[in-house]
Amino acid sequence: MPSALKHTLEDLLRVRRLQADAPPLRGQDRRLSPLSTGVAVVDDLLGGGLPRGQLSEVHGPPSAGRTGLVLALTTRITRAGALAGWVDPRDRFDPGTAAGAGLDLARLLWLRGRAGPPRALPEAVAATGTLVGSGLFDLVVLDLAGIPAVEIQRLPGATWIRLQRMIESTPAALVLVGDAHVAHGPGGACLAMAPGSPRWSGPPGPGRLLRGLASELRTGRHALRPVVFELGGASGAPPRPPLAPRE
Amino acid sequence: MYGGLHSAGPLPTPGALVDLAREFTPRVEAFGSTPVLLDLQGLGRAWPSPRALGEALLEAARLRCHEPHVALAGSRVAALLVSQGREGLTVLAPGEEAAALAPLPLSLLALDPEREETLRGWGLRTLGDLAALPATGLAERLGPDAPRLRRLARGEDDAPLVATPRPESFACTLELEWPVDGLEPLSFILARVLEPLCARLVERGRRAVSLALELGLVDGSVHRRALHPAAPSSDPRTWRTLLLLDLEIHPPRDAIQALTLRAEPTPARIVQFSLLDPAQPSPERLAETMARLHEWTASGRGGAPVLLDTHRPGAFVMGSFAPGPFAGSRAPQGPPRIALRVFRPPRPAQVSLREGVPVFVSAGAVRGAVLDLAGPWRASGDWWDVAWSREEWDVALAGGIYRIFRDRLREAWFLEGELD
Repeated sequence: MPSALKHTLEDLLRVRRLQADAPPLRGQDRRLSPLSTGVAVVDDLLGGGLPRGQLSEVHGPPSAGRTGLVLALTTRITRAGALAGWVDPRDRFDPGTAAGAGLDLARLLWLRGRAGPPRALPEAVAATGTLVGSGLFDLVVLDLAGIPAVEIQRLPGATWIRLQRMIESTPAALVLVGDAHVAHGPGGACLAMAPGSPRWSGPPGPGRLLRGLASELRTGRHALRPVVFELGGASGAPPRPPLAPRE
Repeated sequence: MYGGLHSAGPLPTPGALVDLAREFTPRVEAFGSTPVLLDLQGLGRAWPSPRALGEALLEAARLRCHEPHVALAGSRVAALLVSQGREGLTVLAPGEEAAALAPLPLSLLALDPEREETLRGWGLRTLGDLAALPATGLAERLGPDAPRLRRLARGEDDAPLVATPRPESFACTLELEWPVDGLEPLSFILARVLEPLCARLVERGRRAVSLALELGLVDGSVHRRALHPAAPSSDPRTWRTLLLLDLEIHPPRDAIQALTLRAEPTPARIVQFSLLDPAQPSPERLAETMARLHEWTASGRGGAPVLLDTHRPGAFVMGSFAPGPFAGSRAPQGPPRIALRVFRPPRPAQVSLREGVPVFVSAGAVRGAVLDLAGPWRASGDWWDVAWSREEWDVALAGGIYRIFRDRLREAWFLEGELD
């Protein structure tokens, strides 16, 4: 009987080791395994996922799928039992769509910026440093999308170097979401995204749905051929019956 | 040799006799506020005879309480019962216990009323009467405990003394020679106070569930703060950080002259870690991080969002961030979902319609002709409270895909967010 139990335990441990996205075991060095986004083409491009201990960035124009991709990554992390932090200086995060995508909201620390005050961005950067330095989070997202470039350039020049140095000693990944390139670490990923064509459920008219949104992704400065993937229907939208056209 | 100390009069404080007994010996067993049993083994070196020791005990007791009784005997029960039954000082030589106990009333044994009534019915009034009963058949008549009662009445007791532990006090006070102004010098002083305090907690297998800080200021006032972190801790570094972060937010108004720290103890957390589940965050570190983010959490801008049970779009509240144990869940399948980046509050929009369908949208920087669209989707609710009714459209403009809606109650258009 004890040998049967031993075999069962060994099998369990073997299975856990073979799962790439399995949460880390106690005492396991988490820095070795990258964070998988769950999108096969993106993970292949990145060699398994976003690297830990590095500052990475996902940038592109509106509706390029930046938030959807990072949300997918956050969802996988929280569903695996780890913690994630989302620093949101412009208060743009929607918990309803995040929950619809499967994100475990109890494992997400969301810091919402105050609309208006000029110190919102420096405060958000300081809070990002606190989250990274705590060592509690596997993923920290700093959402810079929608913030004018001039406001980002007003930050001290060493801001991103300091964050990169902070995260190097932790098993977490820091991801910037922005409209354009801001910064990334020496080993971090730089994902440039561009919007593809949306996919609608049928001809224009009542009952039509936004079924998907194609997204083109390039990584690195010299990558010429983009990877194309599609984001699914508007997340969080409850099933809605078609209505008759308005009279 | 044991000593019994009893006060027939009122005591100035409930623990007065125990405190007095601890001045003679650390091994003291208290039965409420009175009587108190002392283990006098080894005190013969300090007093030449048991009587001299008893007189010293009685003299000290007279200063603390009225009508003290002291008894010294070779057995616990004899010392206890004689001290309750005889006034002044009684010193019993070995073998005199039974004779000394014999005239004392039976009520000193603190029997239950039913059994005492039975014994009185048999005509027994004193401990001597009980001791004189034949041992044979006593258990059958009075129960299995009866032989022990008979032995007690004869002054025979082989039970050990169980020392009453000293009340635990986890407080530390430090008077400063020179006033301290500012948090940086205070952090060193806090470390000096916290380290022995936390070491004492660890020695007793305790953690501090809360910490009260009192700062005596130069102007004579007292600055009081109390910390109640999410998890108990006995780590001095964590407590020092939490105290400094709290004092940063609520600084004292003058220089500090004295400080007192009081910890409320709680049993240490015992957690059985799982071999297969992911490592959970350290509660101490989580409490420290949340204290650092106090400015965000205090204003309701930081925490874990909790969705409300309603169909109203965007209905949620900010809850405290306290992730519980991982229950295990599967990674979502399928492609990633389109995310909505909302505007809070929704931006008022100008929407041009053709045959009831949006053809042009203008909402600040978001402006353009509608290239493609999906909708309308109508929803309404809360008619019994604050009613809402809206008509949603997903519109593709040249600059992106946005969600707009018409508030059907106010007849106004709004830009809700960007689909990204």
